[in-house]
Amino acid sequence: MSKFTFFGGKGGVGKTTVSAAFGVRSANAGDETLLVSTDPAHSTSDVFGQSFGDTPTQVTGYDGLSAMEIDPDAEVEAHLQGIRKQMAEQVSQVVVNEIDRQIEMAHNTPGAYEAALFDRLIHVMREESAPFDRVVFDTAPTGGTLRLLSLPEFLGDWVDRLVEKRQQSLDRYEMAAIGDTEPRVDAETDPIIARLRERKERFAFAGRTLREDAVFYLVCNPDELSVAETRRAVEHLRSHDLAVAGLVVNKLTPEPDPEEDGTGARYLRERCAREHERVEEVETTFSVPVVARIAARSGEITADVLDEVATELPVRPPSA
Amino acid sequence: MTVYEQFARFREAATEVLHGLYHGMIEHPAFERIENEAMDSEDAFFFACFADAFGIPSPVSYYTAELLPYLAEDFEAWERRMWDRESVLDWKGDYHF
Repeated sequence: MSKFTFFGGKGGVGKTTVSAAFGVRSANAGDETLLVSTDPAHSTSDVFGQSFGDTPTQVTGYDGLSAMEIDPDAEVEAHLQGIRKQMAEQVSQVVVNEIDRQIEMAHNTPGAYEAALFDRLIHVMREESAPFDRVVFDTAPTGGTLRLLSLPEFLGDWVDRLVEKRQQSLDRYEMAAIGDTEPRVDAETDPIIARLRERKERFAFAGRTLREDAVFYLVCNPDELSVAETRRAVEHLRSHDLAVAGLVVNKLTPEPDPEEDGTGARYLRERCAREHERVEEVETTFSVPVVARIAARSGEITADVLDEVATELPVRPPSA
Repeated sequence: MTVYEQFARFREAATEVLHGLYHGMIEHPAFERIENEAMDSEDAFFFACFADAFGIPSPVSYYTAELLPYLAEDFEAWERRMWDRESVLDWKGDYHF
């Protein structure tokens, strides 16, 4: 059984509901479960009617289920402060003022947000997941998630090249210093190389865990845009060696009873026919099985609905 | 002063001059080239880490910012050098008087 389960998909398809329901189901099956929301527009709190923060909190009314919401902005801020603090310990105030601009800039780049989220994700997988049997990730809309998941490989290569460059320049300094003065630093004791290697090791851990100990489900709706985006997402994930285990088709329109023949009924019937086509298309042309079909619910998502949805989701029996 | 002592002193002076000549013509330029190359690859390293200092978005600068506490002083010099290549003082000390 894979410990980590990721739910992804386009915005608004119902990922939060599905992943919350999956969490409930998994907890009911006897697995100690942690539900992690990485979507900046957190709605896990709304689904359970209870506010969650940065640390795993027991969900009231559900045994064995905890939830947490990660705030990337707070992560970026903490990273920024951490560097500033370290800086103050290492160098003089004059230099600190000069460099501060650079540090600030690095934390305002578009990638910073993803990097912070990714960092936290690694931390959750590595440490905070220890007391749980299963961790369910409710991830942000597709684009961001995909980039996030392809980061380890990409960053690993980048760090490799940085280490190489640094090594090269240190080696040259050493050569130039023959017989003369001692080189300033050497590769063995260089804190920069040590730091980069540590980073690389973390990325490698993330890559390994995502490939070997995680399953991915994509949530989609039975409409053209959603299906097209899901198709791209499946390919993208596969190109990064991450296999999608299944699709969850959400928000299927309920079929009216056969004897009904009002305007509403005719509308629904037509809509259902179109959705059937879509689902069929998904079933025949995707290499990934549809693991659940969930009917649209009118009204808010409540605990009852969650339980109902939960019964429609696949969960393997708890680990032996 | 005996002739031997004069010879010894002459040899000593000659050795020093020759060694100086060798160092100036062969040894020093060679070391300097290696050192220059070391500096160039250090510049390249800095650039790879902090390309965003020049407006080029870099996906790793969030992570490499962690290196700044160790690199602070070199970073500042590097940035000045990159922005203003004309500055004689920042010319990596590559001048002979």
